[in-house]
Amino acid sequence: MADTPAIELTGVSKSFGGFQALLGVDLTVAEGERVVVCGPSGSGKSTLIRCINRLEEHDAGRIVVEGVELSDDVDALDEVRREVGMVFQSFNLFPHLTVLQNCALAPMRVRGTKRAAAEALGMKYLDKVQIPGEAHKFPDQLSGGQQQRVAIARALCMEPRIMLFDEPTSALDPEMIGEVLDTMVTLAEEGMTMICVTHEMAFARRVADRIVFMADGEVVEIADPETFFTNPQNDRTRTFLDQILKQ
Amino acid sequence: MAVALAPPATDDNLMAWARRRLFSTWLDGLITVAFGALMIWAVARIVDWGVLDAVWTVAEKDRCREVDGACWSVIGARGRLILFGLYPHDEHWRSTLACIAIILTMGFSCIPKFWGLRRLPALWVAGFAIFILLMYGGILGLPVVRTEQWGGLSLTVFIFAAVVVIGMPLAVVLALARRSPLPVISGVANVIINFVRSLPLLAILFTAAVVVPFVVPDWAQGDKLVRVTLAFALFFACYQAEIIRAGLQAIPSGQEEAASALGMKYWSRVFDIMLPQAFRNSLPSTINQFVITFKETSIVTIIGFFEIMASGNAAVGTGEWVSQFVEVYVFVGAIYFAFVFGLSRYGAYLERRARLTHG
Repeated sequence: MADTPAIELTGVSKSFGGFQALLGVDLTVAEGERVVVCGPSGSGKSTLIRCINRLEEHDAGRIVVEGVELSDDVDALDEVRREVGMVFQSFNLFPHLTVLQNCALAPMRVRGTKRAAAEALGMKYLDKVQIPGEAHKFPDQLSGGQQQRVAIARALCMEPRIMLFDEPTSALDPEMIGEVLDTMVTLAEEGMTMICVTHEMAFARRVADRIVFMADGEVVEIADPETFFTNPQNDRTRTFLDQILKQ
Repeated sequence: MAVALAPPATDDNLMAWARRRLFSTWLDGLITVAFGALMIWAVARIVDWGVLDAVWTVAEKDRCREVDGACWSVIGARGRLILFGLYPHDEHWRSTLACIAIILTMGFSCIPKFWGLRRLPALWVAGFAIFILLMYGGILGLPVVRTEQWGGLSLTVFIFAAVVVIGMPLAVVLALARRSPLPVISGVANVIINFVRSLPLLAILFTAAVVVPFVVPDWAQGDKLVRVTLAFALFFACYQAEIIRAGLQAIPSGQEEAASALGMKYWSRVFDIMLPQAFRNSLPSTINQFVITFKETSIVTIIGFFEIMASGNAAVGTGEWVSQFVEVYVFVGAIYFAFVFGLSRYGAYLERRARLTHG
């Protein structure tokens, strides 16, 4: 199994109406690898990771996650979603449930875990993201940074093998970005397979094994952080880096 | 309701408050005095008529012609007719118990502890079983009372409860169906909702009561009350479905995506994530619909059921009490008010509760 890649995309395309969001994307992510995806707005980064757990259905190409190919097969999809956790830009916590209930719900409903065990699991991961004290509050009572850490804990409660992050810090006030990134660094250091769409270049440089640069629905360049930042090969990558590092 | 409560304060503050809010200009003062006088006069008139000058007992009913006040003797004399309709006199206790059973069932289903996919149906099945056994009889030595003889308050409460209990799940199904990505399912739900909404309630009830017996074979007709209740429930469901759909539309798409990403299946997403939020979002309209439905139950009068409004009319329909219609309508109105006001307060409680658990 060690040789099976965690995620394998081959020639993946996706269009919304007339807009081509993805155009023949090839990408292989190894077990335990941390990949950061960046690129200008509208380049297809979010669509790419949303295809990996089939929140978007791809039109063409193949997506294989942990050896399971995504198709119309519902059982395969269930299997993939159990193994792939996702964190969203807008947190998407369930507002009518407490923090702990947010964490415990999916293990109970999807894995059939008993309530007590699911809540113990929830507390374990709330501890990990360092907010066990907020377990009985409702999401609206927390700061943005805390909410995003709850969202990470909620995804971890399913004990996934892969975590997808879709611009997890873009909706946060600047002073809260650090606490969320710290949590993600901890995860990365524990060997979680991660794909992270982000513009946090310092984070990318620190944790990424590889950086994928996308533009207009295509993968333009894939490189290790050192090469990516010091010696980008493609003109568009250079332009993008110039713009983003100038700030 | 109209009198604002003063803040808990000393007389000194009360005076300051009154000066600021009621007498800040001479025009304010004038309006305050005028409306104050009007209110005192109206309250005094009502108390005079309803209490001080009123005749209370049936024994004194001959005095009714002499006094200006209300003649509450009519309630004593005709109260049973109003509350029980045509239900046989010796069996009134059964109607009373049945009515209490349904009211308790409604009361319990208002308590959040009972909101479960197993508890709530179990509660309703038990409540309706007790109601029907008591009302219809035929076992345990209770004489059979056919539904044509049911009437009064217990009939009103039964129709309302049955319409809501049957209509609500149907409304959820219609609302979910209308949002289905499968065109056949959403299309069918769409046609049902728009067809039923386009017809007046009266036409639908008439169809169920009068037309169905002509077109459906005898063995499939069922009881008239059952047909009418089911038709009413369908009517309720079509309106309530749109209310629930509005509540569903208001939920950000990220909610369902997050649940999907966690691996939750359709029914779990619906019952754990979507519906609880949809009901919260649509609470004011839902309470509205309940209130309208409770009052609309009086329409079944027209197809020959003696619910409380009809039996109230019957109570003053005969010679002896014909001039006491105001008293009877006040009595019936008070009963409607008790239920509808209770519903409104319950709605307010739920909104407060939702706010507390919503941050």
